[in-house]
Amino acid sequence: MVDVLTGAQVDQAFARRTEPARALGQDAEAVGRACYDMALRFHRGGKLLCFGNGSAAADAAHIVVEFVHPVIVGKRALPAVSLANDAATMSGIARVAGFENSFAAQLQLQAEPEDIALGISTDGECANVARALIAARGMGLLTLALVGGDGGQIARIKGLDHVLIARSKDPRVVKEIQVTAYHVLWELVHVFFEQPGVLAPKAL
Amino acid sequence: MSGVESLYPFLYSGKSDVAAVLAEVCRSTAEKAEEIIRLRSDVLELYRDRLIDCASAMARSFTAGGRLFSFGNGGSSTDAQALAELFQNPGPDARPLPATALTTDVAVLSALANDVSFDVVFARPLAANGHARDIAVGLSTSGGSSNVLRGFVEATRRGMLTIGLAGYDGGKMAETDTIEYLFVIPSSSVHRIQEAQTTIYHVLWELTQLALSPT
Repeated sequence: MVDVLTGAQVDQAFARRTEPARALGQDAEAVGRACYDMALRFHRGGKLLCFGNGSAAADAAHIVVEFVHPVIVGKRALPAVSLANDAATMSGIARVAGFENSFAAQLQLQAEPEDIALGISTDGECANVARALIAARGMGLLTLALVGGDGGQIARIKGLDHVLIARSKDPRVVKEIQVTAYHVLWELVHVFFEQPGVLAPKAL
Repeated sequence: MSGVESLYPFLYSGKSDVAAVLAEVCRSTAEKAEEIIRLRSDVLELYRDRLIDCASAMARSFTAGGRLFSFGNGGSSTDAQALAELFQNPGPDARPLPATALTTDVAVLSALANDVSFDVVFARPLAANGHARDIAVGLSTSGGSSNVLRGFVEATRRGMLTIGLAGYDGGKMAETDTIEYLFVIPSSSVHRIQEAQTTIYHVLWELTQLALSPT
């Protein structure tokens, strides 16, 4: 087992990240438009609801801490909640109503029309994320999806406001692109949010 | 001039409209994408050999029956969780390996924080669960989280393989002798540090899998 690994394997692993990261830069306008819409919702008093499975459940928690406890001193806290943190609630709903309802059931109780629903899925095939986004769309929330691969069933949902697809089939690479994407979303929401002149015309 | 003001000077120069802000936001997004590409390239040059050595050591620990424990605060706590999930539930083509994030048990965390100190929330569970064959992975963007540092002290005391992920100049994590493999991401942006740290633990996982089942 010792000495089986080579520098070439490390190089290949890193190389797989470059093009998908560059593709995120090429999707800059889609990212910017999502930030603007999120800022409008926060300006109207909306809150952010995040959800995902597995590694994306950790991302949901990460996004929430970005908004609630900003790393840059002086940025205001914005309201955000993860629907993926509470194992008792998640498993309780899954047992009674099926795993595919684990986020939608919480969202329907907690969401208000001015809120933002942000679903994360590396391959876009998470049925519970899809179902929550559909429920959110029906309630009038702003809907955002961070997905990867070909976008899966989530990218095919009609009428979602913003679908950002990380351009890789490797779920690890997809996650890394998504982490950059939501870091950028957080930072740029504040750029809009701090500009009352930009938000006010539509908000008032 | 505030940080944001220096980044987006046009916003503070008087009038701005949505189109102008959008254009600036687009430019900024593309810049950040290039920034993380460059940072990953720097990290690769710095740590190519250390990543191989570290993954080989991790593979030896797992072969000996070891478990992985991961820990961190805030965003890093979610990385600890994602890391444990990746090792345990890697998909159909990889070998599941035992891993536990010390950040997910609110009962243990809050009991220790309330009864003793937040500084011991990782050290105490490591003292209770850790063995010499096990692996401790601690993440801190600043390198200065005292509970993460205390976790490494306890892991070292128990003879565990210790792996640290830090940022900036490594902070106190770079000064201690309790971290066998330390990866310091040379950036001053918390966000870019976290993104590169995610790459580090993903690559360590991939190399560990390769070391355990070479083709």
